[in-house]
Amino acid sequence: MKTSEIMTGRKDFYTFLQRLFYKEVDAQLLGALKGMTFSENCGDAEMQKGYDAIAAYLKNSGENSLDELAADFSKVFLGAGSHEGNAAFPYESVYMGEKPLVMQKPWEEVKKIYAQHGLALENVPSEMMEDHISIELQFMAQLDDIDDAKAFLSGHLLCWADRFCADIEKYAETDFYKGAAALLRGFLKMDLALLTELEGQEHAEKAYSVTDAQFDAVIERLSKDYKVYAPRLTGKFGRNGKEIVRFGEIKSVSEIVYDRQSDFSAKEVYYPVMQTMIYFTESESRESELKDDKGIIIIAHPCDINAVRRLDSIFLENGNHGDVYYARLRNKVKFVMLECAESFENCFCVSAGSNVCEDYAMALRLGETNSVLVKDGEFAALFNGCEETEFAPKFVTENKKAVNMPKVEGKDDVKLASGLEYWNSFDEKCISCGGCNTVCPTCACFDTVDVIYDETSVDGERRRVWSSCMLDTFTLTAGGGRARKTAGANMRFKVLHKTYDFKKRFGKENMCVGCGRCTSRCPKDIDFAEVVNGFTEALDTAKEAK
Amino acid sequence: MENIMLPKPHKILRVLKETQAEYTFRVECSDESKHGQFYMLSIPKIGEAPISVSGRGEGYVEFTIRKVGRLTDGMFGLAAGDNLFMRGPYGNSFPVESFEGKPLIVISGGTGMCPVRTTLNYFYDNPEKCPEVRFMAGFKAPDAVLFTEELEKFKDRFNTQYCLDTGEMEGFKSGFVTQCISDVPFADYEDYNVVIVGPPAMMHIAAQECVKCGAAEEKIWVSFERKMSCAVGKCGHCKINETYVCLEGPVFNYTKAKELLD
Repeated sequence: MKTSEIMTGRKDFYTFLQRLFYKEVDAQLLGALKGMTFSENCGDAEMQKGYDAIAAYLKNSGENSLDELAADFSKVFLGAGSHEGNAAFPYESVYMGEKPLVMQKPWEEVKKIYAQHGLALENVPSEMMEDHISIELQFMAQLDDIDDAKAFLSGHLLCWADRFCADIEKYAETDFYKGAAALLRGFLKMDLALLTELEGQEHAEKAYSVTDAQFDAVIERLSKDYKVYAPRLTGKFGRNGKEIVRFGEIKSVSEIVYDRQSDFSAKEVYYPVMQTMIYFTESESRESELKDDKGIIIIAHPCDINAVRRLDSIFLENGNHGDVYYARLRNKVKFVMLECAESFENCFCVSAGSNVCEDYAMALRLGETNSVLVKDGEFAALFNGCEETEFAPKFVTENKKAVNMPKVEGKDDVKLASGLEYWNSFDEKCISCGGCNTVCPTCACFDTVDVIYDETSVDGERRRVWSSCMLDTFTLTAGGGRARKTAGANMRFKVLHKTYDFKKRFGKENMCVGCGRCTSRCPKDIDFAEVVNGFTEALDTAKEAK
Repeated sequence: MENIMLPKPHKILRVLKETQAEYTFRVECSDESKHGQFYMLSIPKIGEAPISVSGRGEGYVEFTIRKVGRLTDGMFGLAAGDNLFMRGPYGNSFPVESFEGKPLIVISGGTGMCPVRTTLNYFYDNPEKCPEVRFMAGFKAPDAVLFTEELEKFKDRFNTQYCLDTGEMEGFKSGFVTQCISDVPFADYEDYNVVIVGPPAMMHIAAQECVKCGAAEEKIWVSFERKMSCAVGKCGHCKINETYVCLEGPVFNYTKAKELLD
């Protein structure tokens, strides 16, 4: 959607909210509301609560709804009928002033802001103060500038809307006004996120040519607020005699290894191999804390950036509950997309559909000259003084390896795929070391381990550690039972998860991003691209035979 | 964001020895749980595992735990008054409301009796809600028989058949519990439900036997036991194809269960 369309859409919604809180519902508005179809899945839980409540009220409303709503409006916003005079008085000054009264400092402030913008606020009754909720909403509906809208929203409306809405919910008797409160609260929060995103888009999209020295200065400046991670050499050597590349903190651009695939993925930065979850005493359990309040910047190739969406699906989406430990690190991360100079040895990202990525704060091309494209408004000023240039990042469009993803359609195919003789060939070949899971950017599975500090107390902690579906203990229960008993069965489980059932569950994309790390890692030279191709072929043959 | 992995301490009210290897822990808890749901139980310094609710009452839930594995060994050091850390309840449940008014056949193997025990007691306490309950329980050997008093009690109101794989004991037939299935007059029932819980091989054989004796697959319900490290769809251990046992299970209709290929 274009920015202008988004702006119009959100301004229309402000006008709608303005009307809800401006005066009582009249016949015309009630008619219009009844004619509306309310979204049943608007994507925001709070707003959905609002829609559902209003829709429920309208569905059951009868002849006296107008009177009922008018009475509730008077009760909620004017304190009518309340012995203590309690109400959700719709003025910012009441909530933000030194005393809960109208016409205090916040009122002066908003008047000044309206005047600065010279906007004509229409249909404002003289008895209504300028910091009335409906006037602040009307002002939002008129602001064209993203920065101004965001400043007024976060500096005024959002400062008191939460408490105002809580009061509405407290004093309202109808689901209609309770719903209106939820709608207001949900929308304002959503709009802030939206404006922040639009702000970023507006400021950005400038490209620079950057020298190594300039780049190092940028990293130094970023380091005040961020930890900057990139693939870099570790000083340790792998089986093939090559120095191992992992994601680690960098201070200089010269540390970034950009011309080969890292041995480990970027996931270890925001989903560490081991993390403490809970501290225990005999009678208490306490969530661990993050000791570092810095943000995280990860410089990574498209496969690693596309992989994070897969982990989000599991840790934030699955089961409809977010995982605190994942979210608290993940939410700090901004990605810098590192252009692939070429397709590396075992990559098959094109077949996996993850060679391209758009979801990054900056894009980077490293080489004899460095180029950077800045998308995120937060980093707009970072490269001031660098030479502006034309640079659009390129993506790999061809790999040395191509993979035919299996076509598993329907229950019969799943049965066929699971029962293939093909999998048994891995009983001998695979030694169940789990190395492939460890280097995979999308493997999310973990175990928990409890640790006691010393034998004389029960104080201790629960940690979570990456697990691996290729280990023969992965499904082992306390009773000694195992759901899958062979290396071949584990291979089948992994391959189906990566190329079929993750997509079946989340509906978006296959889990595997085609980074090829598992192939490079395997001590038995099992090539994952070949494994998938072999599976697809065996499945096709079995389908034909049927 | 609420931390769904944080367990809370609950006081142990009573520890009851069922067999040499199995103990029932009664724990203070006033959560609402449904028939067949489970909790993640943990003992600090040992670990966490999914355990079915085997009983419940006013202000408490019960868990019957077999002395196997690291977790359950640690459990047996605990006594009344100690704290047990737990979180839950998790998972779906047996559709007990839809069982009402129709004959119910319950087939359990060993500790598989735990997840169906609250269902059995519900129909024992409310006999008007179920015209006929057939309960078949199998155990490995005489020293593995669980809930002895309850097995006696159930005889009053249910059609019961108890079996021992090996060994002899009064009131128990010799052989696998699955041999009793052929006695069920499926053809005479207009509608009915079958619940099967036990070790994987036993559930598989029992379900096949039921179908062979004329039971319809969609009337059979099973409950899965899987390793779990989170119970909330993150750790990946209980996944079968695109199904997470902790989220969509542990109770499955057999039409779905037979498609879940490990």
